[in-house]
Amino acid sequence: MSQSATLSIMRVLTFGWDYPPMRNGGLGVACYGLTRELVDQGIDVIFVLPRSQPTLGSSRFIFADVEKNIRVYEVPSAIAPYQSSQSVQTMFDETGTRVVSHHTMIDAVNQFAARGATIAATEEFDVIHAHDWTSYLAGVAAKRVSGKPLILHVHATTFDQAAGDNIDPVIFDIERNAFNYADKVVTVSQFTKDILTSKHGIAPEKIEVVHNGCDTYEPPRYTPTLQEWREEGKRIVLYHGRITIQKGVDYFVRAARRVIDEDPNVMFVISGWGDMTNQIIAQVGEMGLSGHVLFAGALWEEERDQMYQSVDLVVMPSVSEPFGLVPLEAMQHGTPSLISKQSGVAEVMTHVLKVDFWDVDEMANKILATLRYGVMQKQLIAQGREELPRFSWKHAAEKVSQLYQSLRNLITS
Amino acid sequence: MLSVCPYFHVHQPYRIKRYRVFDIGKDNQYFNDGSATDLNNQRIVEKVANKSYRPTNAVLKQLLEEHPDFCFALSFSGTVLEQFAAYAPDVLESFQELVATGRVEILADTYYHSLAFFYSVPEFERQVALHQEKIQSLFGVTPKVFRNTELSYRNDLAKWCEDNGYTGIMAEGWEPVLGWRSPNYLYRPVGCERIKVLLKNYKLSDDIAFRFGNRAWESFPLDADTFAKWVHAHHGDGNTINLFMDYETFGEHQWEDTGIFDFLRAVPHRLSAHDDTSFKTPSQTIEAYDAVGEIDVPDVLTWADTDRDLTAWVGNDIQRDAITAIYQMETDILATNHEELIETWRKLQTSDHFYYMCTKWFNDGDVHAYFSPYESPYDAYIAFMNSLSDLQLRVRTLQKEPVSEISLDTPELAAPEDSKEDTVSGSTQEPVITTDTHQWFRSTMKASLEWMQKTIARVTGWFRSPKR
Repeated sequence: MSQSATLSIMRVLTFGWDYPPMRNGGLGVACYGLTRELVDQGIDVIFVLPRSQPTLGSSRFIFADVEKNIRVYEVPSAIAPYQSSQSVQTMFDETGTRVVSHHTMIDAVNQFAARGATIAATEEFDVIHAHDWTSYLAGVAAKRVSGKPLILHVHATTFDQAAGDNIDPVIFDIERNAFNYADKVVTVSQFTKDILTSKHGIAPEKIEVVHNGCDTYEPPRYTPTLQEWREEGKRIVLYHGRITIQKGVDYFVRAARRVIDEDPNVMFVISGWGDMTNQIIAQVGEMGLSGHVLFAGALWEEERDQMYQSVDLVVMPSVSEPFGLVPLEAMQHGTPSLISKQSGVAEVMTHVLKVDFWDVDEMANKILATLRYGVMQKQLIAQGREELPRFSWKHAAEKVSQLYQSLRNLITS
Repeated sequence: MLSVCPYFHVHQPYRIKRYRVFDIGKDNQYFNDGSATDLNNQRIVEKVANKSYRPTNAVLKQLLEEHPDFCFALSFSGTVLEQFAAYAPDVLESFQELVATGRVEILADTYYHSLAFFYSVPEFERQVALHQEKIQSLFGVTPKVFRNTELSYRNDLAKWCEDNGYTGIMAEGWEPVLGWRSPNYLYRPVGCERIKVLLKNYKLSDDIAFRFGNRAWESFPLDADTFAKWVHAHHGDGNTINLFMDYETFGEHQWEDTGIFDFLRAVPHRLSAHDDTSFKTPSQTIEAYDAVGEIDVPDVLTWADTDRDLTAWVGNDIQRDAITAIYQMETDILATNHEELIETWRKLQTSDHFYYMCTKWFNDGDVHAYFSPYESPYDAYIAFMNSLSDLQLRVRTLQKEPVSEISLDTPELAAPEDSKEDTVSGSTQEPVITTDTHQWFRSTMKASLEWMQKTIARVTGWFRSPKR
């Protein structure tokens, strides 16, 4: 490649952990949406994933578990200590199959970092971009071997997962050290930027907020599900997401009790799975809500879309949500949302109802008001759909692309 | 000869607290927020009294004393006058002192700062009458010049004002209406013979009301000399410069640190430094000049934002839903004769409630482009509709209590609302046959029973009401 070509075309070495069509959650969806638009804008993206998998889109992929990438490479000392961490985390896919074949999550992360360094030593690129904590060390390693500028993209922090200060100290150390070592940090919201400045002590000037986007296509309409309930004139409220402490499902159940006391004609659907599932099922029983709450399991793709289209309101009661794609997805399907103010998406979405996650009474009030006042429900949908194009991945990619340019200029000048 | 006609509008609504679905049927106080938020009406009135009403009235008083030519007009909503009496009586007294000089004209208005003219003319007329009584009782004057809520104006409103003896009416001097004509003259509304329209010179008015403290404005900081020069430039090109604005411009919209009080203190002197410039009240202006032409405003014109229409109040579905719902209650609520209920219903008509539900600037992502004590237009709508639901419930309860035969004597009470009612237990309607003596006795007894129940309801309402 000629000198002039390498100067004009921006090439980015990107590290991520998940990528569609694998079903793991919001991180992969966000990486795909952003990468697709970056490629569209003429950025040359090399996307490095920890293990071989099918992928969507036209960027170039490198799988770190492929033979030629697995070479013994001395792990830079700055990231070595984490190898001794005792935190055991294992990832499974939705069928229960292990997708990470390591003893601990941290082993996997460190191994990814080591291979990242190997890849960085052999590839040519201008900027390094690493998504979420599992890739931060790979990004750090790549910067150490190449000297290229490093951008860390924060989709969540350990404070979100813990829904408070009961954090994983190992992950916190990785986050803080990596943020300090990076040239720029991107957060998906002001909400997350505030966590980084107050908890990790990162200077606000170093952090750029790039809100996530969503796809703006018109989804197909499916035949509604839960037909019997609809025929009985029941109103349906949906929770869709992982059932973990971060997501605030317990507050949703308490609000459901308050709603049922006022209007027994309302039904609640909980779609998702997670480490709090049994606790939530028990809570529903204890609160006498078994006849009003349906556990639908984890719904994906068509089943999920069909559910979005069949309900009157979607609630996202998260305790701490860096962004939160659920209300945008629901709006694509023509369903309004009630979302927690402790979310990044609340900063950008206006035709949506908002509540503090802990304010169970207000959550119930807004659920009831939406079901009571049909004019408001219709307006939330009509005006909400009009504002959807503002949340495009194209817009997010433009901001990231500018960031790449500014960093390349910074280093080369 | 050029005169300047300053007019300041004084208003505070009764903001609705965060009233929830669960409160319906349990709490009938919608306006008594006690929190440290901007929904607390007492807190707002006390705050604005300190920032605006007290210091501004002190300046205006001084100007009237020092400057024999200085005069101006004020308009008050009934809701702000009530709140002054309750929370800041000294402010009310200071306004009374200003009016007692005889050089401060008070304008006619709707008591509840409502858009009633566009939804129910009879209700509008009742609110204008209530306002007139209030102004007479507090200030001892009867207004002759009319201004409608948010300076809203239309041909038929001007006609109504003429038919009801007003000599003038205020409106926005908006180019799409005026065409090539200047707002600095008086005009005659189409279809009228006597009444004159005073048009707001919005450029000069908004230089003070909106732009004064804006550091990005090319004329910042505006001093009294410059402003006087802009006004004097209209000599030979008009009779009157009508400077109409919210009273709260002084100290509340433009904070003291912008220098707004120094400006107010200085500007009358600078304006009359020019030999041929004087001050006139709206009535004096009407007396002094003839109408130079006719203006035709078939669609509502207001002084609001860039659209100058009612879209800030009734531009989206939730706003139209809320305002329609409140006026749909008119027949039923008046039939209750329940003073407190009717008063509450009127407080819910105040235009601010609908303004808080406005979403027209929302899609630009600029959610702070308008002023609202609510976090979102939807929060405003929910609080309003929940309160309204409670009010409807109270009306229905009253309708059920006094024997249901009322609806036979006065058929208009059997409003369509009844058909939507939940199952009414034990209130079957029986026909009254007056030819039968026994039936006559029954109906007489029921009538007196009904009267007693109404009285009890009224007295109970009296005690429930916090402000009596």
